[in-house]
Order: sequence, then structure tokens, then C-alpha cells
Amino acid sequence: MNWMPFKIGQPKKQIVSKTVERDFEREHEKLQKLEDQTKKLHKDMKKSTEADLAMSKAAVKISADLLSNPLCEQDQAFLDSMTALDTAMKRMDAFNQEKVNQIQKTVIDPLKKYSSVFPSLNMAVKRREQALQDYKRLQSKVEKYEEKEKTGPAIVKLCQAKDELRPVKEDFEAKNKQLLDEMPKFYQSRIDYFQPSFEALIRAQVVYFTEMYNIFSQLTDQIDEAGLTDEQRQKETEAKLNELRSLSIVADD
Amino acid sequence: MPLDLSALPSPVLDVEEIWSRKMSRRAKVIKELVQTEKDYLTDLELCIREVVQPLRVLQVVDVDRLFTNMETVCEVSAALLNRLHVAMSDPDPEAVVIGEVFIQAKAALEDVYKIYCYHHDDANMSLKAYEKEEQIKQHFTICILALKKIYDQEGKPNLLDMGSLLIKPVQRIMKYPLLLGELWQATPEDHIDYLPLQEALTAAKIINVNINEFRRRKDIVMKYKRLENDEGTLRGKLNKINIHSLRKKGDRFAGYLKILTGVEPQVRDEVFDKEEKLFRSLEKAVRQLAKNVNCYVQYTQEMVPVAVQNVKDMENIITDPSKADTNGSSHKNGKDPYKYFKERMEELVLLPLTSLQGMFTAPQKLIQKRYDKLLDYCCRLERSSSFASSSSTTVSSTASPASDAPPGPAKRDYEAINALLVDELQRFNMAAYTILTNCVLCLVALLRGLMVCALVGAPAVHQLPPPLSNMVEVQNSIMDELNNLTFVKDNAQKLMERKVSFERQRDKKTVVQEVQHQTEEQRAWLLAEYPPNRLYQLKRKCNGCQEQDLSLLEGELVALLEDTDPLGSSSRWLVHNGGDKGYVYSTFLKQYNPLRDSQRANQKAKEQQQPPVITYEDFDDLSLFVSPSSSSMRSLSLNTTDSSSTLSGLQGELENAEEPEESVDDDTQQYYAVYAFHARCEQELSLQEYQHVRILQFCDLGGNKQWWLAEANGQKGYVPANYLGRMSYA
Repeated sequence: MNWMPFKIGQPKKQIVSKTVERDFEREHEKLQKLEDQTKKLHKDMKKSTEADLAMSKAAVKISADLLSNPLCEQDQAFLDSMTALDTAMKRMDAFNQEKVNQIQKTVIDPLKKYSSVFPSLNMAVKRREQALQDYKRLQSKVEKYEEKEKTGPAIVKLCQAKDELRPVKEDFEAKNKQLLDEMPKFYQSRIDYFQPSFEALIRAQVVYFTEMYNIFSQLTDQIDEAGLTDEQRQKETEAKLNELRSLSIVADD
Repeated sequence: MPLDLSALPSPVLDVEEIWSRKMSRRAKVIKELVQTEKDYLTDLELCIREVVQPLRVLQVVDVDRLFTNMETVCEVSAALLNRLHVAMSDPDPEAVVIGEVFIQAKAALEDVYKIYCYHHDDANMSLKAYEKEEQIKQHFTICILALKKIYDQEGKPNLLDMGSLLIKPVQRIMKYPLLLGELWQATPEDHIDYLPLQEALTAAKIINVNINEFRRRKDIVMKYKRLENDEGTLRGKLNKINIHSLRKKGDRFAGYLKILTGVEPQVRDEVFDKEEKLFRSLEKAVRQLAKNVNCYVQYTQEMVPVAVQNVKDMENIITDPSKADTNGSSHKNGKDPYKYFKERMEELVLLPLTSLQGMFTAPQKLIQKRYDKLLDYCCRLERSSSFASSSSTTVSSTASPASDAPPGPAKRDYEAINALLVDELQRFNMAAYTILTNCVLCLVALLRGLMVCALVGAPAVHQLPPPLSNMVEVQNSIMDELNNLTFVKDNAQKLMERKVSFERQRDKKTVVQEVQHQTEEQRAWLLAEYPPNRLYQLKRKCNGCQEQDLSLLEGELVALLEDTDPLGSSSRWLVHNGGDKGYVYSTFLKQYNPLRDSQRANQKAKEQQQPPVITYEDFDDLSLFVSPSSSSMRSLSLNTTDSSSTLSGLQGELENAEEPEESVDDDTQQYYAVYAFHARCEQELSLQEYQHVRILQFCDLGGNKQWWLAEANGQKGYVPANYLGRMSYA
């Protein structure tokens, strides 16, 4: 025999050059990382907005409970203070809600839309992979035929094989080129896409906190007449607690 | 007998005599008063000098606990003595006014002695405890002996011990009413000191009453606290049960019912009620505030790290690792302001609130006790009033003695507790209110501080880039661009349709697409119409998803009409399956090799008998190079065709071919039954173990490859394929 039907042990000839593979992998990896990032960020943002709303509701509860306490009926000053507090908390809640809505619109929804492109990308990569496999297979088949003696039927077979190979090869190359072209574009698009979101996110936060500061400054002016510092208040509280402890009706074991 | 006129004192002389006797007595009493005060003061001073101060230096006992405010008592006494001396210095006895001295001193006296007497019981108890320790007892003895020596030197031997030292002030304050009373009685009515003395006497009595009351309150609280501790155990509770307590409880219960049904209790204290209501409101407010603030802080803790991370993550998405993207980023200082916020909140708000909350329980119990006592009292009142009313109808004058006794203790108890509570609740409420408002103010201040911190490092609102008003359009246009990328266009639709069809499948599971089998005529037509190189075969089953797709079964023939689809994709081909035209993805197709089918069948047949023949046709089938009986290579041969082809697939091909097998040797189709099989119906064929059968078809009429049509002993029938084994000829 002057030919070996199949050569076990010899490495397969590379159908697709290493550089092409490497380029492809690099771009693909970048996009995979981007996919993970966007998915995670989307989830986290949803979580944080929910927690944000819960926090705000807790704050409103503080003031609502105090306002509904019978103490307010007996003491006008207390009633006034609690009303002011309650108003402030409710405003805080409203602003928070608005902030959350804003974020939802400008950040969370766009994130979702952007993420929706990834499945298509993944599918395209898979198809390219399939096409690559087909290509490799047919290519090796052609090579096998090429190494045989050129008899009539062999040549026919070779032609047939070549015919079969051609469209598959073209298909793969088309897919490959297409993806190599488009993946970087996709990756790059993220900057322009998310820049406005990022700015909107920061803006929403800054606006919210500025407003909050104003609200609470106003509130402090309204209810804090004595204007003590925290330390002074703490001392006063401690003194009162001691006074209570000295009362005989308070158990002092 | 005639009256002895000389025995009768003359009226004028009597008045004078009385007056002078009184005055001399008065002088004596004053002298005694002053002298005793002086002695008392000396005793105090010596005690302080010889006992208190040395013990204080030694630091082995809690001096304040033992001696309370003896030093202050000493000071007050000294001042009093001074004033007495001043009052006495007037040479005219008729101008001496002692009463004033005491009237002026009464406040100071009450304050100082109230404290001393209040703590005296405690002091005694500590003393007893201390005396159990040898070492401390030694110290006491030393001091006492020193004191004794001094007294002995002065010629005033006294029986001294620590206990008698401690009780001196108590004894003194109780003496004042007696002394003052005596002095008052010794004072003639028209003396200028008469009225002041009267007032002083009253004052001294009141001081003592107050001191007692003050002590009594403490006793009450102690008593109920002690009872609670005892009652706590089940044993304690059982011990309490006796006729008396049962009766008491029964009465109380009746009282509660009366209240519930709207009958007003006879005794009300409006002041108390108001304070109690305030007390309850405060308790609720404190409790709720503590809970809510806690909740709020917790949520803040949960949310903040996530929010901060989000901003960072977003930034990461945009930045390119190779070049830094500057964007006024990370405006939040992150966790630190929030951590500080939490700590301060806990310190300034939560801690005091929880301490305060704890203090509500003891008063609440006392309030409950008071309520019980009130009911008892009301009960007694009712009983006594009904008794009195009933007794008034029967016995007129003599009031039944029983009617007086019962209200006594109940009334006393109730009034004691009530007075205590009214006084102290007021103070409690005021202090609690202050604490509450302070906490609220701290809360607000902290929140404001937090907002300030969050803004540190952030640009002011007007400094920020203005919001992109057309942000939505910008993003949408980018999305459109993305969607126009080929890979999206190609696949998105398919994904969408896959999703839709999946959903449709889920909804209507009953609809099963019946795929038409290709008929023989269609195959024949295709073979006739198209050249072999345009003919393709399905490698595997293809389900058409898109509109013009064909659904085809494995092995079916199609003729290629176009090798691109209207959209220009070269992976989708327009084919003709003899009946319809439609699109199929090229990956499903392979070139049709008409020879291969029959040859393969032949090969399979000859496999067992002939030595491997090298043919050029079938490189895919590596079984050529393999010994017949090796099943592993057989599986390898299968793998080199298509990944999705299976054994049954091959057999399907066998079946799809024009079934040349029938012309082949019978031997080649020889199978045998590995296990016996019992036919369950007409169509099935019973077999005995190791019975030879001949296979006519490798599937049933429905295409199910699990049942083979077999012939044995002239009978035909279906047999399960896995019961059959191939006969191998050596």
C-alpha cells in the first residue's frame, strides 16, 4: 500500500489560522464579560431600588406613628413638631419615589434592552462554531481525497467533495467575518449607550440629596428651638435617665 | 365645816403665779432644748471626726451608704443651734422667740432629715452585713473605742455601738415635736412666742409625717417588688392561695366586671388618670419610635453598599481598561458616612430609647397594683355603705363596728399607692417626654448630617452636565443600529419565533405537527427529475420554523433549487421534496448518494460473511477496516458519519432504500430470540428462546423501530427489537 487511508497521530492541519481564532476569542471574551456585567448590574439595580423604597417607607412610618400618638392631642407644641416631621418625611418619600422612577427609566430599562442583544450574539457564535465544524470536516474529507490516486471515480469524488466544501467554507468565512466585524462595533456601542445612563444616575442622586438636605435643614429650624448640639442633648438625656432611675417607682435592682 | 379661806389662792396672785411658773418652766425647757441640741451636735461632730472620717480614709466600707448625709445633718444642726443662741441672747425673757427659729429652719430640716431617715433602713442593713466580716468589725471597734475614750474623759459614759450612732439623727428629729410641744404648753397665751411656737409645732409634726410618708412609699414599692420576686415561682404562687387571697381576688374580679359593664367606680382621682394616660402614650411613642428607627437603620444598612457598588459597576462598564474615563465619578464617599450615621444613631437615639423603654415596666406594675387596691377599696366602700344603709334601717344609733374597720387598711393602701404614683408619675412623664423629644431632634439632626456627607465631593446640581433631553432617542438609535447588525437580524427573529413557538407549544400541547412522510413516488420523481448532484438527503429530522420552511424527516430526499434564501443567507436553501418547495437549512443536508444506500445495505449484509472489502465509495464507513464481530468499531463507524446519526438512523436508511434486502440471502437476516417472547395480540409473534427468526421489516407500520416484523415457522408477526440478537456465523 502506498497510501495510508487515515493517519492516526498526525496533527490535523489547521483549517482556521491561529491568529483569526485568537482575535475572535478576544472579542468574544470582551463581549461575554460585558454581558455578565450588564446582567449583574441590572439585577443589583433592581434590588437596590426595592431596598430604597423600603427604606423610605420605614422613615415615613416613624413620623406617622408619632403623629398618631395620643400625645399630640394633649400637647400643642408636640403636635406641631410631629406634623412638621411628618411632612418632611412624606416629602422625602415622594422625592425618593421620583428618584427611583427616574433611575428606572434612564438606567434599568436601557440595561434590559441592551442585554436583549446578547442572546442573538450567542446564537450567532454558536452557528459560526457549527459552520466551523462542518467546514473542518469537509475540508479534511477533501484532503483525504486529494491524497489518493487520481483514478476516475476518485476524481469524481474529489470534485464532489470540493463542491460540497465550497459553500460550507464560504458560509463559515462569511459568518466569521461578519462577527469579527460586528463584535467590536457592539462592544464600542456600550460607551455611547451607557454614558447618558451613568450621568442620569449620578444626577438623580445629587438632586435627591440636595433636596433632602434642604428639607431637613428647614425641619431643624422648625422644630429645634433650643438649638442644642448633639452632645448637649445627649447629656441632658443622660441626666433625665438618671433622674428616672432615682424614682422609687422605677425598679432599681 | 366652814371653808378655810386662807387655803384659797387669791385670783390675782394666781394669774401672776401661773405666769411666772410658766415662764420658769419655759426657761427650763428652752435650756433643755438648747442643751440637748448642743449635745446632739457634739455627738455628731465626734462621730464624724472619730468614725466617719477614719473609715472614709480606710476605704473598707461604703461610708456614704452607712452614714448617708450625716455631715449635712451636722451642718444644719449647727446652724439651728446658732440661731437658738441668737434668739436666747435677748435678755428679756418675754422677748425671746423660739418658734420663729424653727419656722425658718423647717424646710432645711425636712430636706435633710427626709434623706437621712429614708436611707436609714438601708444603712442598718449594710451595717449588719458589714459586721459579719471580722476585719471590718475590728475597724468599727477601734473607732468606737476611741469615741468611748473621749466620752469617758468628759465624764459621760455612754453605751455606744455603731447602731446607736446611726440612729441618733432619727431620734432627734422625732424629739422636736415633743420638745416644742412642751415649750408651747409652757408658754403663756399672751406671750409673743405663743403663736410662733404653735406654728413651729405644727411644722415639726408635719415634717415627721412627711418623713414617714416618704419612707412608707418606699416600703410599699419594696413590698410589692419583694412579693413579685416571691410570686414568680410556682411555689410562691401556690403559697399565696388561701381563703383570704381567694376572697380578695373574687372581689377584684367582681370589680373588674363592674368596670367593664360601665359602672363607674366610686373613687376617682382625675389627676392620676391624666398622668396615667400620659404615661401610656409616652410608653407607646417610645416603643414605636425605637422599633421604627431600628427598622430604618437596618434598611439603610442593606441598601447602601449595594447602591454604592452599582455606581462603581456602571462606571466599570463604560471605562475601557486601557484608557481612563474621567467623568466626575464616585460622588458618594461610600460606606463611611452611613456607617457613622448608624453608630451615632445607635448612640444618640436607640440607646436612650431602649433604656427608657425598660423603665416603663416597673411603674406599670405599680399602676396595676393601685388599680387592684382601688377595686378593693371601692368594694369595701360599697359593702360598708350598703351595710350602713341596711344597718340604718334596722339599728338606728349604734353604728355597726364592722362598718368602720374594713375600709381602713384598703383605703390606706390605696391612698398610699395613689399618692406615690401621682407624684412620681408626673416626674416620670416629664423626664420621659424630654428624652423623647431629644431623641427625635437627634434623629433629624443625624439625617441632615447624612445628607451633607453624601453630597461631599459631589458636584453641585448646576455644575452637572445637563440631562440629555434626547437621551431616549440617542439610546433608541443605538439600539436600532445594534439591531441592524447582521448577527442580530439573523438570529433575533429565529429566537423570537422559537420563543413564540415554545410558548405556543406550551399552550397547546395537543397540536402536534404531523409531518408528512415522503412517498416513494415523490422520491422516484425527484430521482428522475434532477441530476444526482442536485439531490440531497436529510441527515436528520428538520422542523421548519419559519414560514416557508419545510419539515422533513431523516433520510428523505430533496432536490436543491436555490442555495441562498431571499435574504441572501447561504445557509438556507430552497429545496423540492417531490411534493412541496420550501426552505431548509443547509446543515441538515448532505449530498445524496444513491449507491451508498444499497451498498450500505449490502455491506451490512456481507459484513458478517465476507472478509472486509475495500471499496472506494464509503470512506465514512470505517467498518470496512474492521473485523466483523467488534462492536466497538461498529459504533465508531457510526460516529464518523454524522453526529446525529444513530444506529436506528442507519437502519432507517436501510429501510428507506428500496429494500433490496429481500433479495438478499435469508441467512443475512437471521436473528434469533435472545429471550422468549409471548405475543399479546394477533399482530405479535410468539417466540421461544433461541428460536431463529427472519426479519422482514425493521420497523412497524407506524415507523416505530422498536418492533420488527419477523417470520418464523411460517408465521409472521411483530417482535420487540431488543429481544432479538443477530446470528453470527463463524
